[in-house]
Amino acid sequence: MSVRWDAVVDRATVERHKVSPLLRQCVIDRNADSSRVRVQLFGALAALSRRQSVELVLPAGVTVADVIAILGDQLGETFSTHVIDVNGAKHRHCRLFVAGYPVEDLQTPLYPATELTEIDIILLIAPEGG
Amino acid sequence: MNVFSPQQFKPAVSEDVWVPSACALCYGTCSILAHRIDGTVIKIEGNPDSAVGKGRLCGKGVSGIMTHYDPNRLRYPIRRTNPKKGLHEDPGWKRISWTEAMDEIADVLRKVHADDPRKLVVQRTTTVTASRVPMHAFGSAFGTPNFSVSGGGLHCGNGAHLISGIMHASWSIVPDFEYCNYAIFFGASKGHSAGHASCSNMAKAADARARGMKMVVVDPLCNFAAAKATEWVPLRVGTDAALALGMCNIMVNDLGVYDGPYLQAKTNAPYLIGPDKLYVRHPQSKTPLVWDTRTGSARPFNEVPAADMALEGEFTVDGTPCRPAFHRLREHLRKFSPDWAERISGIPAATVRRLAKEFATEARIGSTIVVDGVSLPYRPVAAIAFRGAQGHKNSVYNFYAVDLLNHLVGAADVVGGCLGFNPTSHGHPETGGVRYIPTAGPDGLMVVGSWMGYHYPYPPPEPRLPKNLGLQDLFVIGMTSPFLDSTDREQMWEKFDVPYRPEVMINFGANLVMSIANKDAVAESLSKYKFIVSFDLFLTETSNFVDIILPDCSYLQSLDGRANFPFIFSLPGGLGEWCWPIRQPVLPPDGEQRQFAEVLLELADRVGFRADLNAAYNAWLDLQPPYRLTGDNRYGYEDICDRELKNNFGAERGLDWFKDNGLIKWKKKPEEVYWRPFVDVRVPVYWEFLKPIGDKIAAIAEPRGLKVPLEYYDPLPDFLPCRSHCCNKPGFDFYGFYYRDVVHTNSFTMENPWLDEAARLDPFSYTIAINRAEAAKRGFADGQQVWVESESGRKVGGRLKLTEGIHPEGLGFAAMCGHWTDGQPVAKGKGVFYNDLLDLDFEHASPVNINLDLCVKVRVTPAEHAP
Repeated sequence: MSVRWDAVVDRATVERHKVSPLLRQCVIDRNADSSRVRVQLFGALAALSRRQSVELVLPAGVTVADVIAILGDQLGETFSTHVIDVNGAKHRHCRLFVAGYPVEDLQTPLYPATELTEIDIILLIAPEGG
Repeated sequence: MNVFSPQQFKPAVSEDVWVPSACALCYGTCSILAHRIDGTVIKIEGNPDSAVGKGRLCGKGVSGIMTHYDPNRLRYPIRRTNPKKGLHEDPGWKRISWTEAMDEIADVLRKVHADDPRKLVVQRTTTVTASRVPMHAFGSAFGTPNFSVSGGGLHCGNGAHLISGIMHASWSIVPDFEYCNYAIFFGASKGHSAGHASCSNMAKAADARARGMKMVVVDPLCNFAAAKATEWVPLRVGTDAALALGMCNIMVNDLGVYDGPYLQAKTNAPYLIGPDKLYVRHPQSKTPLVWDTRTGSARPFNEVPAADMALEGEFTVDGTPCRPAFHRLREHLRKFSPDWAERISGIPAATVRRLAKEFATEARIGSTIVVDGVSLPYRPVAAIAFRGAQGHKNSVYNFYAVDLLNHLVGAADVVGGCLGFNPTSHGHPETGGVRYIPTAGPDGLMVVGSWMGYHYPYPPPEPRLPKNLGLQDLFVIGMTSPFLDSTDREQMWEKFDVPYRPEVMINFGANLVMSIANKDAVAESLSKYKFIVSFDLFLTETSNFVDIILPDCSYLQSLDGRANFPFIFSLPGGLGEWCWPIRQPVLPPDGEQRQFAEVLLELADRVGFRADLNAAYNAWLDLQPPYRLTGDNRYGYEDICDRELKNNFGAERGLDWFKDNGLIKWKKKPEEVYWRPFVDVRVPVYWEFLKPIGDKIAAIAEPRGLKVPLEYYDPLPDFLPCRSHCCNKPGFDFYGFYYRDVVHTNSFTMENPWLDEAARLDPFSYTIAINRAEAAKRGFADGQQVWVESESGRKVGGRLKLTEGIHPEGLGFAAMCGHWTDGQPVAKGKGVFYNDLLDLDFEHASPVNINLDLCVKVRVTPAEHAP
């Protein structure tokens, strides 16, 4: 096996999965036509939003980004600016879990589900030293 | 005649075990075996089964037994009775019960949580790596963004970790000791003293030297690394960038040596740069353009084969004149002539030329080597740097310039080159756990796969009006901040309308008064807190400002599911094994000691934010079903550790399995160790992103009266002087600096009697190193007591040690000694407290990464009496 600087890279084998296959299995329900979602806010986000939990019923095909947008409408700009940066991407120190699985890409779809899907969001302390 | 045989006197031994665990005498966190006989630990050795230390243990590690059994350990909670706080105020400690302590702490936390959680500052020492997750989780759950690691980062890592992250996707860098033939160390002791993977690296470095690796150490002091090196190159303190840039210039412009294919395929060297110093971008996609030599046109970088990208030339794209970044770099380097480098660094021009030629020749550009059946690029040279080079106002450029040497010759994360500490892990072969790989981020530049925090080095966040006390929202390249304690902190908070002030601190083990800068500045800051609670092993100088001290368990009494941070921190780089060791209690708590992590869980219950803390642990540890913590259930710390281990290594490998086995390990693959060719990411040899960051910071700061020196935000590195280099005060003719002592960790280990004895036997540990000839010129004698005074009038006293092994203009101080607390009688009065010379404000910090400038221009005068 020989590797050159401009070697062809098979991204599928080396990059992190953007959507956990476990997450896909966990929440999908092909008989459902909507998603019931409970978003739980923790730490600073709960304090800033003055809410710890929000329940939503969403049409099939929505993404995590849609959920964040809806929450932004409900909870205000403070919520949005703490979750999303000026380019519309999630802040790295904002961790978001759907059904217990981490989601980094906000375009991750929420699959239809008859069961309540839990979304946890927490702001972590960003800096570290050492 | 023997009436009794010796056997008759030997007591029956009912227990004789070796317990695998992890050291905590420094953040290297090497794996240990603790030998316990009948409930007493009698010896500590390195664990040969572990890749973290490889069975070696340094003098600090074997002496840990004396720290544990120190009669001055705290054994029960204490509370101050004197409300007045000050460096010389007696707190009037009185013993209190845990119930009293927890009631009061919970009450304070409950009030501040309801008022504004940001008023809590979470503070820890970096010495205990495993304190990171519990302290971060607690702070995140509480809702504060204010976190600090005292002198950690501020002194040693804001530059090194940032640039290692941007360029190598790792916390630090090290030569590939197995294959490197020529290593040049700039103010670094990797493999020869303390630090990340210290014991493992000591073995690797020794083997490399025995194999014939040439090692050049560039350092004002001929100490632990330089003493073992092939060549010591003394330089003027803080001028590392001058030598590195001079070498880069000779390599590129005189010798014409650089790795073109590497620069084309793995860096932003081909990206076209316009007159505004920014990328020329595609009008629609905004992707940076390169010049495609095959089509003779500008095209997005991701649409052109690397070999067709121009590295040099002058082009016009839609009317804009532009040149590839490498062309600009090459032109920029021309001003760094060997004579210029000599004037700045004091290193003879001929030496600069020779080192450049040796480095370029030894790089063997274009060569390959087969490792475990894989043919890989082979570049057996490495330039590394650490605290010495980056602990300056010019922190970023010093480190950037040094690492540029590696990237010019393609010696980055390939065989023999400069390696990050394990930036790519394909995960455990059975479970896939602990998998991470760098990815391509904005403009194709590398984003780390794993990081110690969530403040990723690239891409930097957008600067904004700061809401955190450290102002990292504004100085977005920075990590640990001086502004929690600096003398100008209040002015800074006022300038930026920070809407609250710190009121409560939870501290784990840090001795802030000694570890940040001068004691008066830090003391003034600490005295403003309404309430401080601290987990400690001993009373420290900082204890004078604490309200309640909680007696912590030592590392021999503690459990940690992740003793080490996986794997970019203390697992050695290079070939070998992946290894995840745990820390487990070898001894029970003494008196009323409790492990801090358990106490924090109880505090969350008492204050009422356990659900948040569970969520924070889930996030910090990436726990996934079925191991996630749910609701506000009251998990113990053992349970949390057990869940993390199962989450990563499978249901059958929980805490009990790890207690029996101590660790899990598996073999590294060449594609993981030498990952650079396998991962489609680029790194910046031209820091285009820096300029807009500087402009945005200035746009926020300057209308508020803070001038931001934008010369520090130029995309190409330069030598920019420290305050010390600009001092012309008569009599101030030495550059003071401190260095890590091999027998001491920060200010922590001086209380250990074995280490104290070793330090007293060492002629340098407790003295001030001065050049023998320069001392003679001034009539100073070996052992003479002197005062050392800074430009701003701060003074420390100590005893001189005359040596040829220091730059004529340097004045070297070992470690952070000079304790004065009665709580550490062994440490008290030994050595010199260098940090007391350091000013602490914006002017003495890097305006980019807010690293503190650690060099001070000083005057040395005789002291009539022992200071």
